[in-house]
Amino acid sequence: MSTYNMVKQEFIKKWITTLHMLDCSVEHPLNVTERKNAIKLSSDIAMAAARSGSTVWSRALISRSGNKTANKPVARRILKKARNRLKNRCLTLRRNGNFTAKSGVRKRTELLKSLVPGGELIKNKDYLIRETLDYIVYLRAQVDVMRTVAAVDSVTGNLTNDNK
Amino acid sequence: MDLTGGFGARSGGVGGGPYREPIGLESLHLGDEFRQLATTTSLTPDNAGGSFTALLELPPTQAVELLHFTDSLSSSQAAAAATTGIGGGDIIIAPPPPPLHSFGGTTLTFPSNSALMERAARFSVIATEQQQNNGNYHNNETPTSSVPSNSSDRVKTEPPETDSAMENQSLCPNQTNRSGKRKDFDKKVKSSTKKNKSSEETEKLPYVHVRARRGQATDSHSLAERARREKINARMKLLQELVPGCDKIQGTALVLDEIINHVQSLQRQVEMLSMRLAAVNPRVDFNLDTILASENASLMDGSFSGTAMQLAWPHQALETEQSFHQRQLQPPPPPPQQWPFDGLNQPVWGREEDQAHGNDHSNLMAVSENVMVGSANLHPNQVKMEL
Repeated sequence: MSTYNMVKQEFIKKWITTLHMLDCSVEHPLNVTERKNAIKLSSDIAMAAARSGSTVWSRALISRSGNKTANKPVARRILKKARNRLKNRCLTLRRNGNFTAKSGVRKRTELLKSLVPGGELIKNKDYLIRETLDYIVYLRAQVDVMRTVAAVDSVTGNLTNDNK
Repeated sequence: MDLTGGFGARSGGVGGGPYREPIGLESLHLGDEFRQLATTTSLTPDNAGGSFTALLELPPTQAVELLHFTDSLSSSQAAAAATTGIGGGDIIIAPPPPPLHSFGGTTLTFPSNSALMERAARFSVIATEQQQNNGNYHNNETPTSSVPSNSSDRVKTEPPETDSAMENQSLCPNQTNRSGKRKDFDKKVKSSTKKNKSSEETEKLPYVHVRARRGQATDSHSLAERARREKINARMKLLQELVPGCDKIQGTALVLDEIINHVQSLQRQVEMLSMRLAAVNPRVDFNLDTILASENASLMDGSFSGTAMQLAWPHQALETEQSFHQRQLQPPPPPPQQWPFDGLNQPVWGREEDQAHGNDHSNLMAVSENVMVGSANLHPNQVKMEL
Protein backbone atom coordinates (compact mmCIF):
# COMPACT_ATOMS: atom_id res chain seq x y z
CA MET A 1 0.00 0.00 0.00
CA SER A 2 2.49 2.57 1.08
CA THR A 3 5.25 1.00 -0.89
CA TYR A 4 5.62 4.10 -2.98
CA ASN A 5 5.84 6.08 0.24
CA MET A 6 8.50 3.71 1.39
CA VAL A 7 10.34 4.28 -1.83
CA LYS A 8 10.21 7.98 -1.20
CA GLN A 9 11.29 7.61 2.39
CA GLU A 10 14.19 5.47 1.38
CA PHE A 11 15.14 8.01 -1.19
CA ILE A 12 14.95 10.82 1.32
CA LYS A 13 17.21 9.06 3.77
CA LYS A 14 19.78 8.29 1.17
CA TRP A 15 19.57 11.77 -0.17
CA ILE A 16 20.25 13.29 3.20
CA THR A 17 23.31 11.13 3.51
CA THR A 18 24.67 11.99 0.13
CA LEU A 19 24.00 15.66 0.59
CA HIS A 20 25.93 15.65 3.82
CA MET A 21 28.72 13.78 2.17
CA LEU A 22 29.00 16.09 -0.76
CA ASP A 23 28.69 19.19 1.28
CA CYS A 24 31.42 18.25 3.69
CA SER A 25 33.83 17.08 1.07
CA VAL A 26 33.58 20.05 -1.23
CA GLU A 27 34.65 23.59 -0.54
CA HIS A 28 31.51 25.57 -0.52
CA PRO A 29 30.77 26.35 -4.11
CA LEU A 30 29.14 29.66 -4.45
CA ASN A 31 28.11 29.13 -7.98
CA VAL A 32 24.49 28.23 -8.53
CA THR A 33 25.42 25.84 -11.27
CA GLU A 34 27.83 23.99 -9.06
CA ARG A 35 25.25 23.75 -6.35
CA LYS A 36 22.74 22.47 -8.83
CA ASN A 37 25.16 19.86 -10.03
CA ALA A 38 25.91 18.79 -6.52
CA ILE A 39 22.25 18.51 -5.67
CA LYS A 40 21.47 16.59 -8.79
CA LEU A 41 24.41 14.30 -8.32
CA SER A 42 23.52 13.55 -4.76
CA SER A 43 19.92 12.89 -5.63
CA ASP A 44 20.93 10.58 -8.46
CA ILE A 45 23.20 8.62 -6.18
CA ALA A 46 20.46 8.53 -3.59
CA MET A 47 17.93 7.31 -6.11
CA ALA A 48 20.22 4.56 -7.31
CA ALA A 49 21.12 3.63 -3.77
CA ALA A 50 17.49 3.45 -2.81
CA ARG A 51 16.95 0.95 -5.57
CA SER A 52 19.80 -1.06 -4.20
CA GLY A 53 21.65 -3.14 -6.52
CA SER A 54 19.60 -5.61 -8.39
CA THR A 55 18.84 -3.43 -11.35
CA VAL A 56 21.18 -2.47 -14.11
CA TRP A 57 20.23 1.15 -14.14
CA SER A 58 20.99 1.70 -10.48
CA ARG A 59 24.50 0.36 -10.75
CA ALA A 60 25.09 2.17 -13.99
CA LEU A 61 23.90 5.39 -12.45
CA ILE A 62 26.18 5.01 -9.49
CA SER A 63 29.20 4.34 -11.63
CA ARG A 64 28.34 7.22 -13.89
CA SER A 65 27.92 9.52 -10.90
CA GLY A 66 31.19 8.30 -9.53
CA ASN A 67 32.86 9.60 -12.64
CA LYS A 68 31.63 13.06 -11.96
CA THR A 69 33.07 13.13 -8.47
CA ALA A 70 36.31 11.47 -9.29
CA ASN A 71 38.21 13.36 -6.67
CA LYS A 72 36.15 12.18 -3.81
CA PRO A 73 37.44 9.06 -2.15
CA VAL A 74 34.02 8.03 -1.00
CA ALA A 75 32.59 8.17 -4.45
CA ARG A 76 35.51 6.19 -5.66
CA ARG A 77 34.67 3.49 -3.21
CA ILE A 78 31.18 3.22 -4.61
CA LEU A 79 32.58 3.28 -8.08
CA LYS A 80 34.90 0.44 -7.33
CA LYS A 81 32.11 -1.76 -6.18
CA ALA A 82 29.98 -0.86 -9.13
CA ARG A 83 32.90 -1.55 -11.36
CA ASN A 84 33.24 -5.04 -10.09
CA ARG A 85 29.70 -5.77 -11.08
CA LEU A 86 29.60 -4.08 -14.41
CA LYS A 87 33.13 -4.80 -15.53
CA ASN A 88 33.95 -1.31 -16.65
CA ARG A 89 31.32 -1.30 -19.30
CA CYS A 90 29.41 1.53 -17.77
CA LEU A 91 32.44 3.75 -17.86
CA THR A 92 32.42 3.71 -21.59
CA LEU A 93 28.77 4.23 -22.23
CA ARG A 94 28.11 5.81 -25.51
CA ARG A 95 25.20 8.08 -25.91
CA ASN A 96 22.99 8.01 -28.93
CA GLY A 97 24.30 8.90 -32.32
CA ASN A 98 26.42 5.90 -32.95
CA PHE A 99 23.70 3.50 -33.88
CA THR A 100 21.94 3.31 -37.19
CA ALA A 101 18.46 2.06 -36.57
CA LYS A 102 16.52 0.54 -39.37
CA SER A 103 12.92 0.69 -38.34
CA GLY A 104 10.98 3.06 -36.12
CA VAL A 105 10.75 0.65 -33.24
CA ARG A 106 14.42 -0.09 -33.34
CA LYS A 107 15.29 3.57 -33.48
CA ARG A 108 13.15 4.28 -30.50
CA THR A 109 14.58 1.36 -28.63
CA GLU A 110 18.01 2.78 -29.15
CA LEU A 111 16.84 6.12 -27.91
CA LEU A 112 15.33 4.54 -24.83
CA LYS A 113 18.57 2.73 -24.23
CA SER A 114 20.40 6.01 -24.23
CA LEU A 115 17.97 7.50 -21.76
CA VAL A 116 17.94 4.76 -19.20
CA PRO A 117 21.30 4.51 -17.46
CA GLY A 118 22.93 1.28 -18.37
CA GLY A 119 20.46 0.68 -21.14
CA GLU A 120 23.03 0.07 -23.79
CA LEU A 121 24.25 -2.93 -21.92
CA ILE A 122 20.94 -4.68 -22.14
CA LYS A 123 20.64 -6.82 -25.20
CA ASN A 124 17.17 -8.13 -24.70
CA LYS A 125 14.36 -5.70 -25.36
CA ASP A 126 12.35 -7.54 -22.76
CA TYR A 127 14.70 -6.64 -19.96
CA LEU A 128 15.15 -3.16 -21.23
CA ILE A 129 11.48 -2.50 -20.78
CA ARG A 130 11.53 -3.94 -17.32
CA GLU A 131 14.45 -1.72 -16.40
CA THR A 132 12.63 1.25 -17.83
CA LEU A 133 9.61 0.46 -15.72
CA ASP A 134 11.66 0.39 -12.57
CA TYR A 135 13.59 3.46 -13.52
CA ILE A 136 10.44 5.43 -14.16
CA VAL A 137 9.08 4.61 -10.75
CA TYR A 138 12.20 5.78 -9.00
CA LEU A 139 12.51 8.82 -11.18
CA ARG A 140 9.02 9.79 -10.27
CA ALA A 141 9.75 9.31 -6.58
CA GLN A 142 12.78 11.54 -6.96
CA VAL A 143 10.76 14.21 -8.70
CA ASP A 144 8.02 14.08 -6.09
CA VAL A 145 10.41 14.43 -3.21
CA MET A 146 12.31 17.24 -4.82
CA ARG A 147 9.14 19.03 -5.67
CA THR A 148 7.91 18.79 -2.08
CA VAL A 149 11.21 20.02 -0.78
CA ALA A 150 11.24 22.91 -3.21
CA ALA A 151 7.73 23.87 -2.25
CA VAL A 152 8.60 23.79 1.42
CA ASP A 153 11.68 25.83 0.87
CA SER A 154 10.05 28.45 -1.22
CA VAL A 155 7.23 29.07 1.19
CA THR A 156 9.02 28.90 4.48
CA GLY A 157 11.93 30.93 3.26
CA ASN A 158 15.33 29.66 3.94
CA LEU A 159 15.55 27.77 7.18
CA THR A 160 19.05 26.48 6.89
CA ASN A 161 20.92 26.08 10.12
CA ASP A 162 23.90 28.31 9.93
CA ASN A 163 25.81 26.48 12.58
CA LYS A 164 26.08 23.36 10.44
CA MET B 1 1.94 19.48 -9.16
CA ASP B 2 1.83 19.38 -12.85
CA LEU B 3 2.88 15.84 -13.20
CA THR B 4 0.43 14.58 -10.70
CA GLY B 5 -2.42 16.52 -12.17
CA GLY B 6 -1.50 15.50 -15.63
CA PHE B 7 -1.30 11.91 -14.63
CA GLY B 8 -4.69 11.98 -13.08
CA ALA B 9 -6.24 13.85 -15.93
CA ARG B 10 -4.82 11.83 -18.69
CA SER B 11 -5.49 8.47 -17.29
CA GLY B 12 -8.86 9.70 -16.30
CA GLY B 13 -10.23 8.99 -19.65
CA VAL B 14 -9.89 5.31 -19.27
CA GLY B 15 -12.09 3.36 -16.94
CA GLY B 16 -10.93 0.39 -15.06
CA GLY B 17 -13.19 -2.11 -16.68
CA PRO B 18 -12.74 -1.35 -20.33
CA TYR B 19 -9.06 -1.05 -19.93
CA ARG B 20 -8.58 -4.41 -18.50
CA GLU B 21 -10.19 -6.06 -21.42
CA PRO B 22 -7.30 -5.59 -23.79
CA ILE B 23 -5.04 -7.26 -21.33
CA GLY B 24 -7.27 -10.27 -21.17
CA LEU B 25 -7.62 -10.34 -24.89
CA GLU B 26 -3.96 -9.97 -25.38
CA SER B 27 -2.27 -13.05 -26.64
CA LEU B 28 -0.84 -13.95 -23.30
CA HIS B 29 -0.65 -17.56 -22.46
CA LEU B 30 -0.74 -19.39 -19.27
CA GLY B 31 0.04 -22.84 -18.05
CA ASP B 32 -2.40 -25.24 -16.57
CA GLU B 33 -1.14 -24.78 -13.10
CA PHE B 34 -1.77 -21.08 -13.16
CA ARG B 35 -5.29 -21.62 -14.28
CA GLN B 36 -5.83 -24.06 -11.49
CA LEU B 37 -4.37 -21.62 -9.08
CA ALA B 38 -6.65 -18.90 -10.21
CA THR B 39 -9.66 -21.08 -9.75
CA THR B 40 -8.69 -22.71 -6.50
CA THR B 41 -8.64 -19.37 -4.76
CA SER B 42 -6.78 -20.61 -1.81
CA LEU B 43 -5.84 -17.18 -0.67
CA THR B 44 -8.41 -14.88 -2.11
CA PRO B 45 -11.71 -15.64 -0.51
CA ASP B 46 -13.59 -13.19 -2.63
CA ASN B 47 -12.31 -14.61 -5.81
CA ALA B 48 -14.87 -17.12 -6.82
CA GLY B 49 -13.49 -17.99 -10.16
CA GLY B 50 -11.25 -15.13 -10.81
CA SER B 51 -13.58 -12.41 -11.81
CA PHE B 52 -11.83 -9.14 -11.75
CA THR B 53 -14.53 -7.22 -10.05
CA ALA B 54 -14.41 -9.66 -7.19
CA LEU B 55 -10.71 -9.17 -7.01
CA LEU B 56 -11.04 -5.48 -6.98
CA GLU B 57 -13.41 -5.46 -4.11
CA LEU B 58 -10.81 -6.76 -1.80
CA PRO B 59 -9.92 -3.83 0.39
CA PRO B 60 -6.36 -2.69 0.22
CA THR B 61 -5.53 -3.85 3.70
CA GLN B 62 -6.36 -7.38 2.78
CA ALA B 63 -4.10 -7.09 -0.16
CA VAL B 64 -1.30 -6.06 2.11
CA GLU B 65 -2.00 -8.99 4.35
CA LEU B 66 -1.96 -11.25 1.39
CA LEU B 67 1.38 -9.87 0.46
CA HIS B 68 2.69 -10.59 3.90
CA PHE B 69 1.32 -14.06 3.77
CA THR B 70 2.80 -14.90 0.47
CA ASP B 71 6.11 -13.47 1.43
CA SER B 72 6.32 -15.67 4.45
CA LEU B 73 5.12 -18.61 2.44
CA SER B 74 7.52 -18.32 -0.38
CA SER B 75 10.42 -17.58 1.85
CA SER B 76 9.83 -20.74 3.79
CA GLN B 77 9.36 -22.95 0.81
CA ALA B 78 12.25 -25.05 -0.27
CA ALA B 79 12.73 -26.50 -3.69
CA ALA B 80 10.05 -26.87 -6.22
CA ALA B 81 7.19 -29.11 -6.32
CA ALA B 82 6.89 -30.57 -9.71
CA THR B 83 5.28 -28.27 -12.09
CA THR B 84 5.26 -30.44 -14.91
CA GLY B 85 2.47 -31.40 -16.50
CA ILE B 86 1.68 -29.80 -19.65
CA GLY B 87 0.68 -32.65 -21.79
CA GLY B 88 1.67 -33.68 -25.24
CA GLY B 89 2.28 -31.16 -27.88
CA ASP B 90 4.60 -29.18 -25.76
CA ILE B 91 7.80 -27.99 -27.05
CA ILE B 92 10.29 -27.07 -24.45
CA ILE B 93 12.36 -24.12 -25.30
CA ALA B 94 15.21 -22.76 -23.31
CA PRO B 95 14.87 -19.05 -22.81
CA PRO B 96 17.75 -16.76 -23.52
CA PRO B 97 20.12 -16.30 -20.61
CA PRO B 98 18.93 -13.37 -18.60
CA PRO B 99 21.48 -10.59 -18.61
CA LEU B 100 20.06 -9.12 -15.44
CA HIS B 101 21.10 -12.04 -13.42
CA SER B 102 24.60 -12.05 -14.78
CA PHE B 103 25.22 -8.85 -12.95
CA GLY B 104 25.37 -10.69 -9.72
CA GLY B 105 21.91 -9.99 -8.50
CA THR B 106 20.92 -11.30 -5.16
CA THR B 107 20.10 -14.93 -4.89
CA LEU B 108 18.30 -14.67 -1.63
CA THR B 109 14.73 -15.63 -1.67
CA PHE B 110 13.74 -13.02 0.84
CA PRO B 111 14.84 -9.84 -0.83
CA SER B 112 13.79 -10.90 -4.23
CA ASN B 113 10.32 -11.45 -2.94
CA SER B 114 10.32 -8.10 -1.34
CA ALA B 115 11.53 -6.48 -4.50
CA LEU B 116 8.84 -8.37 -6.27
CA MET B 117 6.15 -7.28 -3.90
CA GLU B 118 7.53 -3.85 -3.93
CA ARG B 119 7.10 -3.71 -7.63
CA ALA B 120 3.63 -5.03 -7.60
CA ALA B 121 2.57 -2.98 -4.65
CA ARG B 122 4.30 -0.01 -6.04
CA PHE B 123 1.81 0.25 -8.82
CA SER B 124 -0.96 -0.08 -6.37
CA VAL B 125 0.62 2.56 -4.21
CA ILE B 126 0.84 5.03 -6.99
CA ALA B 127 -2.68 4.23 -7.84
CA THR B 128 -3.85 4.39 -4.27
CA GLU B 129 -2.39 7.78 -3.85
CA GLN B 130 -4.21 8.90 -6.92
CA GLN B 131 -7.34 7.53 -5.42
CA GLN B 132 -6.81 9.27 -2.17
CA ASN B 133 -6.24 12.45 -4.01
CA ASN B 134 -9.57 12.03 -5.63
CA GLY B 135 -11.15 10.82 -2.46
CA ASN B 136 -12.56 7.78 -4.08
CA TYR B 137 -11.86 4.22 -3.17
CA HIS B 138 -13.76 2.42 -5.81
CA ASN B 139 -11.31 1.12 -8.26
CA ASN B 140 -13.84 0.63 -10.94
CA GLU B 141 -15.26 4.06 -10.95
CA THR B 142 -12.40 6.39 -10.35
CA PRO B 143 -11.22 8.43 -13.23
CA THR B 144 -7.71 7.39 -12.50
CA SER B 145 -8.67 3.82 -12.35
CA SER B 146 -6.63 2.53 -15.19
CA VAL B 147 -3.63 2.19 -13.00
CA PRO B 148 -5.32 1.22 -9.77
CA SER B 149 -7.50 -1.45 -11.26
CA ASN B 150 -4.66 -3.17 -12.93
CA SER B 151 -2.40 -2.77 -10.00
CA SER B 152 -4.87 -4.15 -7.55
CA ASP B 153 -5.51 -6.97 -9.92
CA ARG B 154 -1.90 -7.60 -9.90
CA VAL B 155 -1.64 -7.34 -6.20
CA LYS B 156 -4.46 -9.70 -5.53
CA THR B 157 -3.56 -12.25 -8.06
CA GLU B 158 -0.09 -12.38 -6.71
CA PRO B 159 -0.86 -14.61 -3.76
CA PRO B 160 -2.42 -17.55 -5.55
CA GLU B 161 0.27 -17.74 -8.10
CA THR B 162 3.08 -17.05 -5.81
CA ASP B 163 2.66 -20.31 -4.02
CA SER B 164 3.24 -22.78 -6.72
CA ALA B 165 5.01 -20.47 -9.08
CA MET B 166 7.54 -19.64 -6.46
CA GLU B 167 8.03 -23.27 -5.91
CA ASN B 168 9.27 -23.45 -9.42
CA GLN B 169 11.42 -20.48 -8.98
CA SER B 170 13.09 -21.48 -5.81
CA LEU B 171 14.85 -24.13 -7.80
CA CYS B 172 16.31 -21.56 -9.96
CA PRO B 173 18.80 -19.01 -8.75
CA ASN B 174 17.41 -16.35 -10.99
CA GLN B 175 15.06 -15.00 -8.46
CA THR B 176 15.63 -11.37 -9.05
CA ASN B 177 15.12 -12.04 -12.65
CA ARG B 178 11.71 -13.37 -11.92
CA SER B 179 10.60 -10.34 -10.05
CA GLY B 180 9.83 -8.48 -13.18
CA LYS B 181 8.15 -11.42 -14.77
CA ARG B 182 5.67 -11.54 -11.96
CA LYS B 183 3.70 -8.92 -13.68
CA ASP B 184 3.38 -11.21 -16.60
CA PHE B 185 2.05 -13.94 -14.42
CA ASP B 186 -0.62 -11.74 -13.03
CA LYS B 187 -1.83 -10.93 -16.44
CA LYS B 188 -1.67 -14.51 -17.42
CA VAL B 189 -3.89 -15.40 -14.54
CA LYS B 190 -6.32 -12.81 -15.66
CA SER B 191 -6.29 -13.91 -19.22
CA SER B 192 -6.73 -17.53 -18.34
CA THR B 193 -9.64 -16.88 -16.11
CA LYS B 194 -11.23 -14.76 -18.72
CA LYS B 195 -10.84 -17.05 -21.63
CA ASN B 196 -9.98 -20.58 -22.36
CA LYS B 197 -7.26 -20.47 -24.84
CA SER B 198 -6.15 -23.36 -26.85
CA SER B 199 -2.60 -22.32 -26.55
CA GLU B 200 -0.72 -21.54 -23.44
CA GLU B 201 2.61 -20.40 -22.48
CA THR B 202 4.31 -20.84 -19.20
CA GLU B 203 7.44 -19.31 -18.02
CA LYS B 204 9.42 -21.65 -15.98
CA LEU B 205 13.07 -21.16 -15.75
CA PRO B 206 15.09 -22.47 -17.31
CA TYR B 207 12.51 -23.79 -19.75
CA VAL B 208 9.61 -22.17 -21.41
CA HIS B 209 6.68 -24.38 -22.20
CA VAL B 210 4.81 -23.18 -25.18
CA ARG B 211 1.88 -24.86 -26.73
CA ALA B 212 1.25 -24.21 -30.35
CA ARG B 213 -1.83 -22.40 -31.34
CA ARG B 214 -4.13 -23.67 -34.00
CA GLY B 215 -3.01 -22.88 -37.48
CA GLN B 216 0.41 -21.70 -36.44
CA ALA B 217 3.76 -23.12 -37.05
CA THR B 218 5.10 -25.45 -34.48
CA ASP B 219 8.61 -24.76 -35.40
CA SER B 220 10.70 -24.38 -32.31
CA HIS B 221 12.21 -21.18 -33.55
CA SER B 222 8.93 -19.56 -34.32
CA LEU B 223 7.56 -20.65 -30.98
CA ALA B 224 10.49 -19.15 -29.18
CA GLU B 225 10.09 -16.02 -31.16
CA ARG B 226 6.44 -15.88 -30.38
CA ALA B 227 7.05 -16.43 -26.70
CA ARG B 228 9.55 -13.65 -26.66
CA ARG B 229 7.27 -11.31 -28.51
CA GLU B 230 4.48 -11.99 -26.12
CA LYS B 231 6.66 -11.29 -23.15
CA ILE B 232 7.66 -8.04 -24.69
CA ASN B 233 4.08 -7.17 -25.38
CA ALA B 234 3.18 -7.87 -21.80
CA ARG B 235 5.86 -5.53 -20.58
CA MET B 236 4.73 -2.91 -23.02
CA LYS B 237 1.29 -3.13 -21.55
CA LEU B 238 2.69 -2.54 -18.12
CA LEU B 239 4.61 0.41 -19.33
CA GLN B 240 1.50 1.74 -20.89
CA GLU B 241 -0.16 1.69 -17.55
CA LEU B 242 2.69 3.40 -15.88
CA VAL B 243 3.17 6.14 -18.37
CA PRO B 244 0.12 8.35 -18.47
CA GLY B 245 -1.79 8.66 -21.64
CA CYS B 246 -0.43 5.57 -23.25
CA ASP B 247 -3.53 3.51 -23.15
CA LYS B 248 -5.11 4.61 -26.34
CA ILE B 249 -2.06 4.28 -28.46
CA GLN B 250 -1.75 1.36 -30.75
CA GLY B 251 1.57 0.12 -31.85
CA THR B 252 4.81 -0.45 -30.14
CA ALA B 253 6.62 2.46 -31.72
CA LEU B 254 4.21 5.07 -30.48
CA VAL B 255 4.11 3.57 -27.04
CA LEU B 256 7.86 3.69 -26.96
CA ASP B 257 7.62 7.30 -28.02
CA GLU B 258 5.42 8.09 -25.08
CA ILE B 259 7.69 6.28 -22.72
CA ILE B 260 10.71 8.09 -24.03
CA ASN B 261 8.91 11.38 -23.64
CA HIS B 262 7.95 10.50 -20.11
CA VAL B 263 11.45 9.56 -19.10
CA GLN B 264 12.85 12.67 -20.72
CA SER B 265 10.32 14.87 -19.03
CA LEU B 266 11.04 13.32 -15.66
CA GLN B 267 14.74 13.82 -16.12
CA ARG B 268 14.21 17.40 -17.17
CA GLN B 269 12.05 17.96 -14.12
CA VAL B 270 14.83 16.66 -11.94
CA GLU B 271 17.16 19.14 -13.54
CA MET B 272 14.83 22.05 -13.03
CA LEU B 273 13.99 21.10 -9.48
CA SER B 274 17.60 20.72 -8.54
CA MET B 275 18.34 24.10 -10.05
CA ARG B 276 15.48 25.53 -8.08
CA LEU B 277 16.72 23.99 -4.87
CA ALA B 278 20.19 25.25 -5.56
CA ALA B 279 18.89 28.75 -6.11
CA VAL B 280 16.89 28.77 -2.92
CA ASN B 281 19.51 27.40 -0.59
CA PRO B 282 22.91 28.97 -0.16
CA ARG B 283 24.33 25.65 0.91
CA VAL B 284 24.14 22.22 -0.56
CA ASP B 285 22.70 20.50 2.45
CA PHE B 286 19.65 22.47 3.24
CA ASN B 287 17.57 22.13 6.29
CA LEU B 288 17.06 18.45 6.43
CA ASP B 289 15.16 18.20 9.64
CA THR B 290 12.53 20.43 8.21
CA ILE B 291 12.40 18.47 5.05
CA LEU B 292 12.23 15.20 6.86
CA ALA B 293 9.45 16.33 9.08
CA SER B 294 7.51 17.87 6.28
CA GLU B 295 8.01 14.83 4.14
CA ASN B 296 6.83 12.65 6.97
CA ALA B 297 3.78 14.77 7.28
CA SER B 298 3.09 14.64 3.60
CA LEU B 299 3.61 10.94 3.47
CA MET B 300 1.33 10.46 6.40
CA ASP B 301 -1.42 12.17 4.59
CA GLY B 302 -0.69 10.14 1.57
CA SER B 303 -0.81 13.04 -0.77
CA PHE B 304 2.13 14.73 -2.26
CA SER B 305 0.28 17.41 -4.07
CA GLY B 306 -1.18 19.09 -1.07
CA THR B 307 1.96 20.68 0.15
CA ALA B 308 0.15 23.77 1.21
CA MET B 309 -1.22 21.88 4.16
CA GLN B 310 2.08 20.61 5.27
CA LEU B 311 3.80 23.90 4.95
CA ALA B 312 2.38 24.81 8.27
CA TRP B 313 4.14 21.87 9.83
CA PRO B 314 7.76 22.88 9.34
CA HIS B 315 7.38 25.77 11.70
CA GLN B 316 6.40 23.43 14.42
CA ALA B 317 8.70 20.79 13.15
CA LEU B 318 11.73 22.18 14.81
CA GLU B 319 10.19 21.83 18.20
CA THR B 320 7.85 18.93 17.82
CA GLU B 321 9.77 16.67 15.54
CA GLN B 322 9.65 13.81 17.93
CA SER B 323 5.90 13.91 18.10
CA PHE B 324 5.73 13.78 14.33
CA HIS B 325 7.82 10.71 14.19
CA GLN B 326 5.72 9.03 16.75
CA ARG B 327 2.59 10.04 14.98
CA GLN B 328 3.86 8.54 11.87
CA LEU B 329 4.12 5.20 13.53
CA GLN B 330 0.41 4.80 13.72
CA PRO B 331 -1.33 5.77 10.52
CA PRO B 332 0.60 3.73 7.99
CA PRO B 333 -0.32 0.08 8.09
CA PRO B 334 2.42 -2.00 9.57
CA PRO B 335 4.71 -2.80 6.72
CA PRO B 336 5.74 -6.31 6.04
CA GLN B 337 8.76 -7.51 7.82
CA GLN B 338 10.91 -6.89 4.87
CA TRP B 339 10.47 -3.18 5.34
CA PRO B 340 11.19 -2.50 8.95
CA PHE B 341 12.15 1.05 8.37
CA ASP B 342 9.34 3.36 9.14
CA GLY B 343 8.85 5.92 11.81
CA LEU B 344 10.99 3.83 14.11
CA ASN B 345 14.07 4.51 12.12
CA GLN B 346 13.23 8.04 11.27
CA PRO B 347 13.81 9.48 14.72
CA VAL B 348 17.10 7.71 14.89
CA TRP B 349 18.05 9.11 11.57
CA GLY B 350 16.92 12.57 12.48
CA ARG B 351 18.98 12.63 15.60
CA GLU B 352 21.98 11.15 13.99
CA GLU B 353 22.07 13.75 11.28
CA ASP B 354 23.25 16.41 13.61
CA GLN B 355 26.14 14.33 14.77
CA ALA B 356 27.04 12.97 11.46
CA HIS B 357 29.54 15.51 10.38
CA GLY B 358 32.56 13.52 11.26
CA ASN B 359 30.99 10.34 10.12
CA ASP B 360 30.27 11.13 6.54
CA HIS B 361 32.63 8.60 5.20
CA SER B 362 31.29 5.88 7.36
CA ASN B 363 27.79 6.87 6.39
CA LEU B 364 28.58 6.70 2.78
CA MET B 365 30.32 3.42 3.24
CA ALA B 366 27.14 2.20 4.79
CA VAL B 367 25.20 3.50 1.86
CA SER B 368 27.51 1.98 -0.66
CA GLU B 369 27.65 -1.30 1.14
CA ASN B 370 23.93 -1.35 1.30
CA VAL B 371 23.76 -0.70 -2.35
CA MET B 372 26.06 -3.47 -3.27
CA VAL B 373 24.65 -5.99 -0.94
CA GLY B 374 21.60 -5.75 -3.03
CA SER B 375 19.05 -6.57 -0.45
CA ALA B 376 16.75 -3.81 0.44
CA ASN B 377 15.70 -5.43 3.67
CA LEU B 378 18.96 -5.00 5.36
CA HIS B 379 19.32 -1.37 4.54
CA PRO B 380 17.71 0.19 7.52
CA ASN B 381 19.18 -2.32 9.92
CA GLN B 382 22.63 -1.93 8.54
CA VAL B 383 22.40 1.79 8.37
CA LYS B 384 21.19 1.88 11.90
CA MET B 385 24.08 -0.17 13.09
CA GLU B 386 26.52 1.91 11.17
CA LEU B 387 25.18 5.03 12.70
